[in-house]
Amino acid sequence: MANTWGYGAMTNSLGDIQNAKAIIIFGANPAVNHPVGFGHFLKAKERNNAQIIVVDPRMTKTAAKADYFAQIRPGTDIPFMYGMLHIIFKNGWEDKNFINDRVYGLEDIRKEASKWTPEKVADVTGVSEELLMQITRVYAKSTPGTLIWAMGLTQHSIGSSNTRLAPILQLSLGNMGKEGGGTNILRGHDNVQGATDMCCLSHTLPGYYGLSVGSWKYFAKSWGVDYEWLAGRFKNKKMMGAKGFTLARWYAGVLAGKPGEDKIHNAGTNLKALFVMGTGITSIAQQAKVKEALDELELVVLVDPFVNEAAILTDKQDDVFILPAATQFESSGSVSATNRSAQWRYKVIEPMYESKPDHEILFELAKRMDFYEEYTKGMLMKENKKSYKFPEDATDEIARIIKTIGLTGWTHKRLKNHTDNWHMFDEVSLRGHGPMKGEYYGLPWPCWTETHGGSPILYNIDRSVKEGGMGFRNRFGLEHDGQNLLAGKGSAPKAGSNKDGYAEITAKNIESVLGIKLSASEKKKIGKNWKVDTSNIIAEKCMEAGIAPYGNAKARAKVWTFPDPIPIHREPIHSPRQDLAKKYPSYKDKANHYRVDTQYVSLQSKKNWSKEFPINLITGRLVSMNGAGLENRASKYLAALDPEMFCDIHPGLAATHGIRDGAMMWVHSPEGTKIKVKAKYSYSVKEDMVFLPFHYAGHFQGEDLSHKYPEGTKPYAVGESANTVTNYGYDIITQIPETKGGLCRIEKV
Amino acid sequence: MSELAKMKFYCDDQRCIECNSCSVACAEAHELPTGVSRRKVITLNEGIFGKEFSTSVACMHCTDAPCEQVCPVDCFYIREDGIVLHDKEICIGCGYCLYACPFGAPQFPRDGAFGTKGAMDKCTMCAGGPEETNSSAERELYGQNRIAEGKVPMCAAMCSTKALLVGDEQEISTIYRKRVASRGKGVQSAPYGWSEEYSKQ
Repeated sequence: MANTWGYGAMTNSLGDIQNAKAIIIFGANPAVNHPVGFGHFLKAKERNNAQIIVVDPRMTKTAAKADYFAQIRPGTDIPFMYGMLHIIFKNGWEDKNFINDRVYGLEDIRKEASKWTPEKVADVTGVSEELLMQITRVYAKSTPGTLIWAMGLTQHSIGSSNTRLAPILQLSLGNMGKEGGGTNILRGHDNVQGATDMCCLSHTLPGYYGLSVGSWKYFAKSWGVDYEWLAGRFKNKKMMGAKGFTLARWYAGVLAGKPGEDKIHNAGTNLKALFVMGTGITSIAQQAKVKEALDELELVVLVDPFVNEAAILTDKQDDVFILPAATQFESSGSVSATNRSAQWRYKVIEPMYESKPDHEILFELAKRMDFYEEYTKGMLMKENKKSYKFPEDATDEIARIIKTIGLTGWTHKRLKNHTDNWHMFDEVSLRGHGPMKGEYYGLPWPCWTETHGGSPILYNIDRSVKEGGMGFRNRFGLEHDGQNLLAGKGSAPKAGSNKDGYAEITAKNIESVLGIKLSASEKKKIGKNWKVDTSNIIAEKCMEAGIAPYGNAKARAKVWTFPDPIPIHREPIHSPRQDLAKKYPSYKDKANHYRVDTQYVSLQSKKNWSKEFPINLITGRLVSMNGAGLENRASKYLAALDPEMFCDIHPGLAATHGIRDGAMMWVHSPEGTKIKVKAKYSYSVKEDMVFLPFHYAGHFQGEDLSHKYPEGTKPYAVGESANTVTNYGYDIITQIPETKGGLCRIEKV
Repeated sequence: MSELAKMKFYCDDQRCIECNSCSVACAEAHELPTGVSRRKVITLNEGIFGKEFSTSVACMHCTDAPCEQVCPVDCFYIREDGIVLHDKEICIGCGYCLYACPFGAPQFPRDGAFGTKGAMDKCTMCAGGPEETNSSAERELYGQNRIAEGKVPMCAAMCSTKALLVGDEQEISTIYRKRVASRGKGVQSAPYGWSEEYSKQ
């Protein structure tokens, strides 16, 4: 997404889905994972006659409300989308003006799409030619159409290609920057967007600034600390700029050096300690490795309102610390919703017992590690204060520093004002009325200045920049292969002083692009470019001139720095179709992928996995639970809905293995691991596939770990973790695990 | 609510997604034992495309309530607003009402080695029971009395997609009629008809 048009975030909003005429959903199940948000889908259907199309390996609750349902084989979204593009281009249903003015590199996509005839698509995906044509026709003809996805599209070794081709489909139909259009990625947990924006990630500084020396220096300056001091905290400057381990593969950092384990590049040392905040690490792939790594660590700290079941999984007896964290009701501050809107949350009660809010735990840690002053200094700098007030001053610090995604307008005062006046906003357009007129609810970023009203629909050139309009971001240079990458003539946000494409704004080009003259004092104060201009002169001047600070460029269908410049199909590492795995092999193995050597084609071609493991394995969520599920399984009424771990299995498949409804079965993984679960007959899965929910823990490969829970903390429901049997496989760019396309073997207990 | 109000439930199966928030909210609000489900979501043809649908079922508060007709100890009473309640102090837990009810609404505690024993429990439409309104005795036996506080019953308040409607039957039919009338008319940004009437001039 970010590599296609600038930002990696939902482009419209849940409410805006009501404006859609067609809704196509790839690998998402909002009826289960976003039940309240799904109300907007139902309203679109009810009021707008929106056609709902679901493309998923499973007949989900979302599909139950759909007009069309294509049951694809896991991991074949790319052939399906190319099949759609094939039919669209063949019939001339694409939006030619939009492509001409706003998209770069679509010719290569046309070439690839021409190979994917409906017949070929049917063979690879398992969806009939007729259904593909029907769906394509409905989706191409019912505009605006919105495209929805979630983890079913991302959690593949080709996840990053999936999430590029989906935007390309939308670009081809001219569905971007429109009310009722867009690519609406549904975030899976509360404040995931906020956590991502603050880059609780290993490869970039907050606000997606990256890890370059320039970025570190910008932050050093903005935090009021010495760059050399910051650099001194790292082993060396090379490691300061190196991407870290990810949540998906941290265990490799512990286990490296053991036989059969992947090699690591961690400055000559293995990981020795693990500090976990706000994540149930029993819901990530390779559970057996996670356990082994936990056992191996010198120190494990788990900060959680509940007992993080990592503590139950491990056999480690000493140096495992469980710190009680406060819940959202016992703390306050801003969170970001899936649509880039912020919302201020007030504290409802004081933290109970000895639990503490996350920031207090981190501040205490910083004190003991002797950098508390440097750590908190950024909160004092705006008004040159002696002491800070949390979280208000932290919020203002974010607003002061994060220019890349336009958080300048997110001051704590404004965010509180929005929460307080929640009733004054429209649920569809997010527009405020009465005293909130001119602002959109939660000031969806980019919110360029302290008076800007936010941008509810990204890349919408039918609005002025002041009203939240913008073109695509100029992020990939001014030209490539001799072609201009800026937007076409006359294709600029409304009411701007510049009607054509323009570069991102810098101190150097601001006068020429905006057609203005800066005063001498402005010239002195202005930052180098819009991303580091803490004076905010660039943004203010841009608003006056109706210019988007990040430029006005074309989206690109081709990412020349990626291993696959255009998305191409590659079979999952563990594919049930050996013939296709040879034809569409995975990537070359990748060295030093977030510090770990990662296997692709070598593992895929190691043997015919499907011979021993003939059944597709997919995982997903239940409506009653989220993530690792402990907080839900600790509620007796939620636990009563799904009291036991189970496996959805088609009665036909079950019968061939002699497994009765409700009987216990083994699921074996190519990893050499297994789980014992209850069979649940279901027609929602095909006969070559089983589905496992991933919210359970407390059992491990047939062993009940109940005795390990500290007294009084055992949840009402425990069970095997699906991730004990999910397969090896990681995305080539993001390293997200391939949990939505693996193999297994089943057996009656 | 008018003086003539008759209280009813309606579940719009076009909107119900089997999220169970109604049943969990009910159980949580009234602190029910886990064996008792005053409200349940029923799904038919699960997993079959084009045929699967769900609906939320509880006591339907019938006008001519069969449970009331068959009760040997006459523990049922129907309020003026149509809400069907019963007196747990009189109930003998015989289960006749369960035989009579077309919806399987009556529930019996399922504790102990031999299963069902004790007084019947069912949806009160969040209107408590014969004890003094909002007393602790009422709360203990029947759960919250939200109707007395002017609130919507918990299930409908928590419904994710507003499939489950509850209240004065006229109010419910107005809401549903609006949904039907607005089908295909586009997103509501101004009252229906305005765009045709005023936008062309």
